[in-house]
Amino acid sequence: MLKDKEFWLVAGGMSLAFIIYWLAGTPLFKEERIVMFLVIVIMSANLIYYTRFARKGGEIFLRAIPGLKAVEEAVGRSTEMGKSVLYVPGIMDMDQVETVAGVIILGHVSKMTSRYETSLNVPVSRSIVMKAARETVREAYTMEGRPDLFQDDMVHYLTDDQFAYAAGVNGIMVREKPAACLYMGKFYAESLILAETGNSIGAIQIAGTASQSQIPFFVTACDYTLIGEEFFAASAYLSQSPELMGGLKGQDMMKAGVTATILLSLLMRILFDLGLIKWNIISILTVQ
Amino acid sequence: MLWKRQIPILIATVVGLSTLFGWFIDHPTIESFVNDDATQWYDILASFAIFLGALNLMKLQGKKIIKQQSGWQYSIFAIGGFFFAIIAGFIYKGNDAVEWGIHVTSKGTLFKWMFEYMFTPLSATMFALLAFFVASASYRAFRVRNLEATLLLVSGIIIMVGRVPLGSSISSWFIMYLLVLIATLVVNVKFKDKKITFGALLGGLLIVTIWGSLLGWPIDQPNLFYLPILQDWIYNNPNVAGARAIMIGIGLGIFATSIRYILGLEKSYIGE
Amino acid sequence: MDKLFDLILRAGTVDRRWIFLVIGLAVLLPLFFPLGLPIRATIATQKVYDAVEALEGNSKVLVSFEYGPSTKPEIHPMTVGLLKHLFTNGHQVYVTCLWPDGQFMAEEALTEVAEEEFNLSYGEDYVLLGFRPGNEAVVKGMVSNIRKLYTTDARGTLVDDIPMMKNINKVADFDFIFSASAGYPGTVEWVQYASDPTGVPISTGTTSIQVNDIMPMVNSGQVQGILAGMPGAAEYEALIGSPGIGTSGMDAQSIAHLVIVLFIVFGNITYFIEVQRSKKY
Repeated sequence: MLKDKEFWLVAGGMSLAFIIYWLAGTPLFKEERIVMFLVIVIMSANLIYYTRFARKGGEIFLRAIPGLKAVEEAVGRSTEMGKSVLYVPGIMDMDQVETVAGVIILGHVSKMTSRYETSLNVPVSRSIVMKAARETVREAYTMEGRPDLFQDDMVHYLTDDQFAYAAGVNGIMVREKPAACLYMGKFYAESLILAETGNSIGAIQIAGTASQSQIPFFVTACDYTLIGEEFFAASAYLSQSPELMGGLKGQDMMKAGVTATILLSLLMRILFDLGLIKWNIISILTVQ
Repeated sequence: MLWKRQIPILIATVVGLSTLFGWFIDHPTIESFVNDDATQWYDILASFAIFLGALNLMKLQGKKIIKQQSGWQYSIFAIGGFFFAIIAGFIYKGNDAVEWGIHVTSKGTLFKWMFEYMFTPLSATMFALLAFFVASASYRAFRVRNLEATLLLVSGIIIMVGRVPLGSSISSWFIMYLLVLIATLVVNVKFKDKKITFGALLGGLLIVTIWGSLLGWPIDQPNLFYLPILQDWIYNNPNVAGARAIMIGIGLGIFATSIRYILGLEKSYIGE
Repeated sequence: MDKLFDLILRAGTVDRRWIFLVIGLAVLLPLFFPLGLPIRATIATQKVYDAVEALEGNSKVLVSFEYGPSTKPEIHPMTVGLLKHLFTNGHQVYVTCLWPDGQFMAEEALTEVAEEEFNLSYGEDYVLLGFRPGNEAVVKGMVSNIRKLYTTDARGTLVDDIPMMKNINKVADFDFIFSASAGYPGTVEWVQYASDPTGVPISTGTTSIQVNDIMPMVNSGQVQGILAGMPGAAEYEALIGSPGIGTSGMDAQSIAHLVIVLFIVFGNITYFIEVQRSKKY
């Protein structure tokens, strides 16, 4: 994170570059996309502002998310029962942000399992996810001072195919009977198969996904579910890192901005339809 | 340290910013990079990365067999299946009349046989499990614990029945009679008076019967109680509204997470 | 009365395998003893039908297969029905696949409809371009230049040698897109990268689970209707007057749904009895 002076120097430099580019007539710039460009700049600035605000010690309130509080409880339960924690980071590759978020949470869960000396099993569906997850777990164990507990085979590849992967994970659940099953990532139709099998073995289950259509299945079958944004907030929540919490606050402010834009656009559209204004807000907000 | 920390962050930042802001640049090379090359580079990397996964799989399953760990017999199937697919894909066609490459979908080849008689039934079986699991999950989870759970339960039933042909065969008058019975139960619980209960039941039944007789008992009138129309309304209105709200939240979450990666605020992919 | 409640409570703690058995029978028996329940098309299905009917004669239609064996029972009847509708109306069909499994499904559908039923000519009435890896990059590539992605079709023939590929260079050269999708990549990618930027109208058929994701796009007019799962397939078959697997599956689905609803009601009755008893004691 840049210090204040460095930050304002960089920001000033970028603004100056943009002004020069603007005065030069914005060569090569797709002007029909200016609105989206401004939105991205404003949202990014908002995120950066709140991140720096939190870094400087600003108070950020984060409401309790039961699913995340239960993660430590789940790992503790596995430790007491002498059984493993099963972590499923979704079935998609690292190009999906949800998979990335799942691997981030895996890092936090690994810290807990290394602290409590609980065995961790992470079957993955993609090779690149296997490498990234392995590095994350290795780093977590090393930071906790327990590199001796880490084994490469903790994170292992099963198959790319959706239902073959579900069958493989089900087999692991039924044979090894983990005490806790965590599903954090992008899921499709196999979500209910995994969750129901986990339920049948009596494991505590915590799921987190931004796959909208799978959320109801996880809510039905799991003990705790992180819905949508709660899943992306998990990293900030578990680490309590100021930068991440500031980012979360920035995200909330973006949502407030989007809500205000929707209401304002609704009002302006009504006025346009009534013929009271000549300016069609939809044509400006439509992404070209 | 430079290779493990600064360079990965630099690559992520440069490629991320190029792909993000490249969308605004009207230049063929940049457009080609953003639209085609960036994702294709990733697909090429992911395709070669399959070797890592395959080797890991063989190593684990092989270790299980050699050490005769619990369940080692299943590992034989895993390794056998892997080599069978390799043979069908790269070594033995089964139909010499077709070229390599298109042999995977051509009739008479070993690969096509494997797809039709092994992969297809296995995939279909796993997906079919959902039917059973939906039933057991619904049975266990759908309880009238509070108002929200009741709304979920009622809308779930309306959509499940209204969506299928059976729903369109159920007359709206049947639903109205059912509602009269439920209302009578509620009245009985609230007032605990037989006369009031009986009066409510009789009144409700009379109203519905007279109304139906006057209209001639059309199956889909009144609209409000016809299940297919009701399920359509639930689907298109509260359901879509909720879906849109969640989608907006998820979209913002994805944006925030991606920006954190691009700006180097999130460094978990290098283990920090 | 207490004895009845005790019986209900005991039944409520039944092993879930009994539930599986009842569901299995509920699905199996109607397949052997069909009920012939009438099928009524919903507005969403009607929109798809109307969109296809509104196409001018000899239109060029791009059909994309994004499903595999697991979702075949839901989506295959849709694609077969759609192909029948398109060929009956005399349109040219170009088939692509964003999933590798999709190519197998496409081969099967085209063999059944184009070859066996309509006896059409490959390369003049229909063409199978096949699967290309790359997910949404394939869609983006097709939007800019199809021939960069597809130099040959699925049978190894050079695309330049296929008569119906003349004047087809990008997505904008098509008159209509239909995406038969079971997940990612699928309808969302076609709408985002192909239909919206080029203005080519699109309809879709998806699994029942995915309908939630696509419905906002249908309501906003970005997608011309949606065939929602097997019920959507059955409704489409009814509209084109060609009942098939979709229609025959609807009896089983109807009974299965009814059985699930009865289980839910029964579960709630046991729940109420338990609550009453715990209050009493």
